Amino acid sequence: MTTTASRPVAVLWMRRNLFSTPLNAFLTVVLGAGIVYLAYLLVRFLATSNFEILRVNLALFMVGSFPRAQLWRVVVAMLLLALMAGLAGGMLKAAARERSKEAGIRLAEVRGSRAVVGWLRRFWPLSLLVIAALALTRTLIPTLVVIAAVALLVASRWLGGRLGRIPRRVGWLSVALLPLGAYWILSASGLGWEDWGGFMLNIFLTIAGILFAFPIGVALALGRRSSLPVVRAFSIGYIELIRGVPLITLLLMAVFALGFFLPRDLRPGSVTRVLIVITAFEAAYIAEVVRGGLQSVPRGQSEAAQSLGLPGLKITRLIVLPQALRATIPAMVGQFISLFKDTTLVAIVGLGDVLAASSFANAQPAFNAQGLARITLPFVALAFWAGSFAMSREARRLERRLGIGER
Amino acid sequence: MIPNARVPFWRNQRVLRGVAQVVVAAAVLFLLYVLWFNVTNNMRARGVRTDFNFLDQPFGVRIAGSDLSPSAPVRSALLNGIRNTFALAIVGLPLLTILGVIVGVGRLSTNWLVAKISSAYVEILRNLPPLLVVIFAFQAVILRLPPARNPITPFGWFVISNLEFHVPGFRAGDNYRPFMMVMLVAVLLGAFLWWWRTRVHERTGTPHHRWLWSLGTVALVGAIAYLILDRPLTITLPHLEGRVVDGGYRGLGAFFAVVGALAFYTSSHVAEIVRGSILAVPKGQSEAASALALSGFQRLRFVVLPQAMRIALPPIINQYLNYVKNTSLAIAVGFAEVTLVAFQAIGNGQPAPQVVVLLMGSYLVFSLVISFLVNLYNRHLRIVTR
Amino acid sequence: MRRARTLAFLAAVMLLAACTQAADTTTAPTTDTGPATTADTGTPTTADTGGATTTTAGTEPSGGGLLGEVQSRGSLLCGVNETVPGFGFLNADGTRSGFDIDYCRAVAAAVLGDPEAVEYVPLDAQQRFTALASGEIDVLIRNTTFTATRDGGEGATFLTTTFYDGQGMLVFTDSGITALEDLANTAICVLSGTTTELNLATRFADIPYTPLTFEDNGVLQPAFVSGQCDGWTSDKSQLAGVRSAFPADQGGPEALTILEETFSKEPLGPAVRDGDSQWAQVVDWVVNATILAEELGITSDNVDTFADTDNAEIRRLLGLEIESDDGTAVFDAGLGLEPGWAANVIASVGNYGEIFDRNVGPDTPLGLVRGVNDLWLNGGLLYSPPFR
Repeated sequence: MTTTASRPVAVLWMRRNLFSTPLNAFLTVVLGAGIVYLAYLLVRFLATSNFEILRVNLALFMVGSFPRAQLWRVVVAMLLLALMAGLAGGMLKAAARERSKEAGIRLAEVRGSRAVVGWLRRFWPLSLLVIAALALTRTLIPTLVVIAAVALLVASRWLGGRLGRIPRRVGWLSVALLPLGAYWILSASGLGWEDWGGFMLNIFLTIAGILFAFPIGVALALGRRSSLPVVRAFSIGYIELIRGVPLITLLLMAVFALGFFLPRDLRPGSVTRVLIVITAFEAAYIAEVVRGGLQSVPRGQSEAAQSLGLPGLKITRLIVLPQALRATIPAMVGQFISLFKDTTLVAIVGLGDVLAASSFANAQPAFNAQGLARITLPFVALAFWAGSFAMSREARRLERRLGIGER
Repeated sequence: MIPNARVPFWRNQRVLRGVAQVVVAAAVLFLLYVLWFNVTNNMRARGVRTDFNFLDQPFGVRIAGSDLSPSAPVRSALLNGIRNTFALAIVGLPLLTILGVIVGVGRLSTNWLVAKISSAYVEILRNLPPLLVVIFAFQAVILRLPPARNPITPFGWFVISNLEFHVPGFRAGDNYRPFMMVMLVAVLLGAFLWWWRTRVHERTGTPHHRWLWSLGTVALVGAIAYLILDRPLTITLPHLEGRVVDGGYRGLGAFFAVVGALAFYTSSHVAEIVRGSILAVPKGQSEAASALALSGFQRLRFVVLPQAMRIALPPIINQYLNYVKNTSLAIAVGFAEVTLVAFQAIGNGQPAPQVVVLLMGSYLVFSLVISFLVNLYNRHLRIVTR
Repeated sequence: MRRARTLAFLAAVMLLAACTQAADTTTAPTTDTGPATTADTGTPTTADTGGATTTTAGTEPSGGGLLGEVQSRGSLLCGVNETVPGFGFLNADGTRSGFDIDYCRAVAAAVLGDPEAVEYVPLDAQQRFTALASGEIDVLIRNTTFTATRDGGEGATFLTTTFYDGQGMLVFTDSGITALEDLANTAICVLSGTTTELNLATRFADIPYTPLTFEDNGVLQPAFVSGQCDGWTSDKSQLAGVRSAFPADQGGPEALTILEETFSKEPLGPAVRDGDSQWAQVVDWVVNATILAEELGITSDNVDTFADTDNAEIRRLLGLEIESDDGTAVFDAGLGLEPGWAANVIASVGNYGEIFDRNVGPDTPLGLVRGVNDLWLNGGLLYSPPFR
């Protein structure tokens, strides 16, 4: 009975959405065949490939040559970051709830299984990556660690959502301190970031690059809009210079020439040099993002502040920047994603990131000369794709949210 | 308190502004001086040459796809690299534009499958590192073609292997130069006619027939010149003799891997821009066009896209710049554009700081020229819209 | 006006930052002039590293030079490769193995008494000499070919060769190519930034070919296997490794042939920075000790059993007491190392033969035979000066 009832609906839907015109019918058939073929190729790849090289080298891909006896540090750092993310998420949500309550809007609460489904819809790419990685592990420990991290995330999110106004201050303070704690755990016992590798290095370079570049970028953006011609000229000169060249040329500069520009006693390691260059590179792009945000703040805002007698520094700090930075959040996430993808370039200049780990694995006696890059590179691609896709979706969600809040 | 007292100089805005600028300028110049001081001293201390005379030294190795001998100077090798970067840009930019527009429009298609596939295309490509896309295109597409020792020759017009693609090309005859002069004049004439017909159309409203006028003139002049000058250009087909392919134009497989990969990657960004711009065109425009009984294609071609393109152009130019900068990723698959040549030069003992500065300079010139043109265009747009 | 004041403040901060920067740099150039002037007069002194030690605050004066610096640092900075099978690569557990890695460990065992006291600095082909010249590493052991310009022009000093290699050409057996001349009008795959690339250009000066230059073997190999290039040129040891590991479903090792002609000499060995002869001697003698140990029959297994040996050279090498007119003494060659350093080296990495067999020998995936890398006694090129 259900079939007879649903068939006309399905047919109708197909007729309307797939075969409405001859051209559409043609496109549907051709593209449909293409999709089926691609799916066949994917299934064949997954079914016939031997993933031993990934299974053996999973840690190499994740943390590079980080000493295996110290892996617990990575685990603790991961848990701390999960705690931070959960707290921040929960507190943001609570703050949004309070604001909307003040504004008299009631946000619909999603609970129970629908909330879980919603989360899966949002984070399925990341879940896919995690499941793929866990399927390649040989012991149960990584699975337990991931479960613990997720549990911690959920718990701290719940906690963050229930903090009052004053404890929330403490909460934000711990959100700021937790990453420092994670860094401290990772770098204690003499393991500086020069010893990091694998995917951990990509993630570190992205986060540290954005963090260090942010203040410089804001200063450059303000400088570009300054009324002082000299300041403006230097800011524009710097921004255009950096934005005019590919990152890879700057990385070449980092590994081959940066040493010449520094005093002789200063011999930063290659990760540090690359981080310096990434910071310099990212600052120019962040400056442009922030400039966009500054332009979006109506002039009336600073004029009104001036008429209230606020001094210039305070106008920038209290009136203009908060509004501007709020408006730049989605673009900043975009910048974060693009840097995340660009960190693969460090493999070209000899850093041991996750892409380089693919070369390392293929040079091992057990896997040398067997052309196994066809196994390792898709895995690396999946890691980047999942991360970027999840972030870009979240950015769009955030954009919608902020947009709704604004109007 | 005293309303008409002189403002003390430390609160005098003009003085403060001047001092601030002098201080900033001094600080920056001082920083640059320190860097310069370090770099010259360090290089001298390590016995690295600090001049640019290395440009005249032999490059030492051959470059794929060029006739340069290993004894050619570094200068020629770098210029060859710049030419190859240009080739990547010239082939790739139109390709990525077409792909981007198709996919961008496809995302708004009424065909459910087309819309879904277009958004999957965007979401998959946009979130992959371009470096990986280039490597995939090389390994999973180009290398799957027949090997160099055993190429295929479709229709006898092409010779295709994973090493090189050969397509039919032109060969210059005796009167090639005069013919090109005539063609240049013909193109200028065509451009003038285009402008003239446009003006006539704007003044009088008579149909302009711009395409007919200008292309007709160019074709006519070209045909006459071709006949008079006794076949100044001939078409040559590539043909295979043992391992040597003669005639036609050639391109390395790695070249197409880079162009294809980056065109696909960048087109996913362009598609998003196109989609956003189409959505930004007020719905009333398209509805009004339907009311005038324009077909779906006519609506898109004459009403929506022209307006969308005006919004889309600045961000698309930005993507063009990104594309050109990303051509440096060819280094991963061994296509000898300027970055790879610079990399080779450093590897073979040329002084790294100078080589990197030259490398950055060549990209910078290109980017600055494009930025300048875009700024000009933006100014032009602003005047038009107001 | 308010904004102007802000900017003035900002500018002041920047200037302050610039000044501190300058304070750092002004000390550096003054010490720089030392090596620069000595270099001009052409006297080979240790001024380069001498300058470095005087500027490094808190360095103990013991030993002086790089040897003292390494000993007071407590670890050896060794520039290595991480993608060359058999010579330097990263294991799945994050540790490093390979022929070159073992020599890093040997140097650390000799200088610091601990083979694990090595900080590995992975380097690109293009970066290695810059890293060596700038003092980022103490010793470069990264299958680097000893050439005159590198020895003279790159600020590096090459030491005893650890592996005599030569450049060869790998082709598919069924391609019918039997000599280099058969590769005319084909494409040849090569890694960039290596002497291999230059040798190829020299050897093929009269043969038309297309060089395909790659950064990474991971991309080069598929290009070769898919037939984009007909030949793959590299050091023969590497090609042998590729050949022996070639997967059975693609024909196994028999599907590939290494052409007979060796068209370059590739002596691979450690290199140190110019200007510190003491440090160069130390690294040199570590290599010699491994060769000598094989000659004398000392292995990592039996190194402890020589306490009563009568062989004077073994006693000298292992730092055992030697009877002389005025009682017993321990032989000190004056290298600035603790007596018994060679025993440490052999106990931790073994003699040359052991290092060879463990990393690249017949029982490894590379499956190389000793060939010219055998002792002079067996007709090879390995010959250590006497230890006395």
